[in-house]
Amino acid sequence: MSVPTRPKPNITESIRPFWDGVAEKKFLLMRCQTCSAWYWPAAYCRFHENKPFYGNMRWEEASGRGMVFAFNIHRRPMHPAFEVPYVYALIELDEGPMFGTNIVDCAPDDVRIGMPVEITFREFEETGVLPQFRPFACEAV
Amino acid sequence: MEKFLKKKFAIVGLGLIPGRFPEHTQRTLQAEAAHLAIEDAGLKPSQVNGAIDLQLAPGSGTPPVETDAFPRILGLPTRMFFQIGRGGTAGIMGIMAASKFLEVGMADYVVLSYGAKDWSRSRGPQKTGIRSIEKAGHWGKPFGDMAAVSHHTFFASRHMHEYGTRPEAFGEIAVAQRAWAQLNPQAQMYGRPLTLDDYMNSPMVIDPYRTLDMCLINDGGMAFVLTTAERARDLRKKPVYVYGVGTGEAMERLWWEKANYTQLAVQSAKEIAFREADISIEDVDFAGLYDCFTAEVLFQVEDYGWCRKGEGGDFVANGGIGPGGKANINTSGGLLSAYYFGELTHIAEAITQLRGEAGARQVKDARIGMATGHGGEILAPGMCSTHATLVLGRD
Repeated sequence: MSVPTRPKPNITESIRPFWDGVAEKKFLLMRCQTCSAWYWPAAYCRFHENKPFYGNMRWEEASGRGMVFAFNIHRRPMHPAFEVPYVYALIELDEGPMFGTNIVDCAPDDVRIGMPVEITFREFEETGVLPQFRPFACEAV
Repeated sequence: MEKFLKKKFAIVGLGLIPGRFPEHTQRTLQAEAAHLAIEDAGLKPSQVNGAIDLQLAPGSGTPPVETDAFPRILGLPTRMFFQIGRGGTAGIMGIMAASKFLEVGMADYVVLSYGAKDWSRSRGPQKTGIRSIEKAGHWGKPFGDMAAVSHHTFFASRHMHEYGTRPEAFGEIAVAQRAWAQLNPQAQMYGRPLTLDDYMNSPMVIDPYRTLDMCLINDGGMAFVLTTAERARDLRKKPVYVYGVGTGEAMERLWWEKANYTQLAVQSAKEIAFREADISIEDVDFAGLYDCFTAEVLFQVEDYGWCRKGEGGDFVANGGIGPGGKANINTSGGLLSAYYFGELTHIAEAITQLRGEAGARQVKDARIGMATGHGGEILAPGMCSTHATLVLGRD
């Protein structure tokens, strides 16, 4: 029996532009063109009236930075394609929305809530590019 | 103020069959639970002319998996039959729907039934090692967020971060519910007591959660019959009256208002249900608080007002919610230690307690009980949306 591969993302029509961006290593969030508010995933802007079919919203490249809001450490495997331990985290993006992904390039036991993190795009054979986060490397001042 | 619900409708029959039934289909288990509920009420199948198929689906229902509907299997002459799909709150939504059909006279007795094959289905994953949410739309799969327990840990970790809650608090909840389960012969964990040391020494699965923080899986069915208060008086069992129902949604305080990670959508659910029932938390003799994982219980102890926000850890310490504790919570053993039928587990226990049929775990002079539900849609990237409150009364 072959080893099961990493599951592919569920790409529904409304989230497809996000994944098209990921394929080009761009981290896109939805932004209101009227008031500049950021959203993820797709949403009507909650601050004012919207154009039909949220025509005032556009996918725009975001900073790709945030901080760890909550996280867990998978200590026992739930799927053979994932090597334990690994971290699945909720990232509070600098722009405001929350995003769920892995924290990589960091020992799982060193991850902390509040830790600054940044986007890193990794290529996987089965799924293509995935947006993951790693500890934010401060540039020297 | 005129009450829409209070004491106008009553639960008059209960069918409850938790266990392991690899030899029966989900539809057969659902039909048998309904059969038992009708019999328990002292009704004939020919009198039951309304039925609701309860599905604990995340969204609005599931495609048909069987070739026939349970009312036809049972030979019920139904004039109304439909499915309600709502993870963790289908039964409470079902009561709301059924009450209107009863009120306008479109049905005399409505049986609401649920069937589960979760244990039997778990046998496959045990062989392949894949414990995966297969639903289209689930966000976390490519990142190894394969099961509900993964993103539900965020509740526990945020509460620990914001309020300094210790892992022992979650352990206390698991231990208290296991203690209640020792008094319930129908509980899957009957005869298997647990200490806080056992909990603390058990391995982490998805840190901060251990196996003992997660609810059980089992097969079986749960059904109940709802009718008008007037019809309820002439039946075999003492009626259990609907006092109040309320619902809330996490979307009320959208996820970007990050408070949703240390509370459930209790506020409006409680307010509506308690206003209708005309009660306050002090009037509640016992409560079944939705407990898919331990943190949900901790949150609700605070959200419903048994203690202040952030003080749940102290409240549950030293057996605070176990037998003989400060509040009678999850007296059946709940989803963690009795059986998993979503919030129907807690509705079944509320019926049993209010009838005075709870045996060794009977809450003395139980007059008002509560059952809560939690679940619904998964809001990206991982947040249950809905909460529901049901208040039932004896008199």
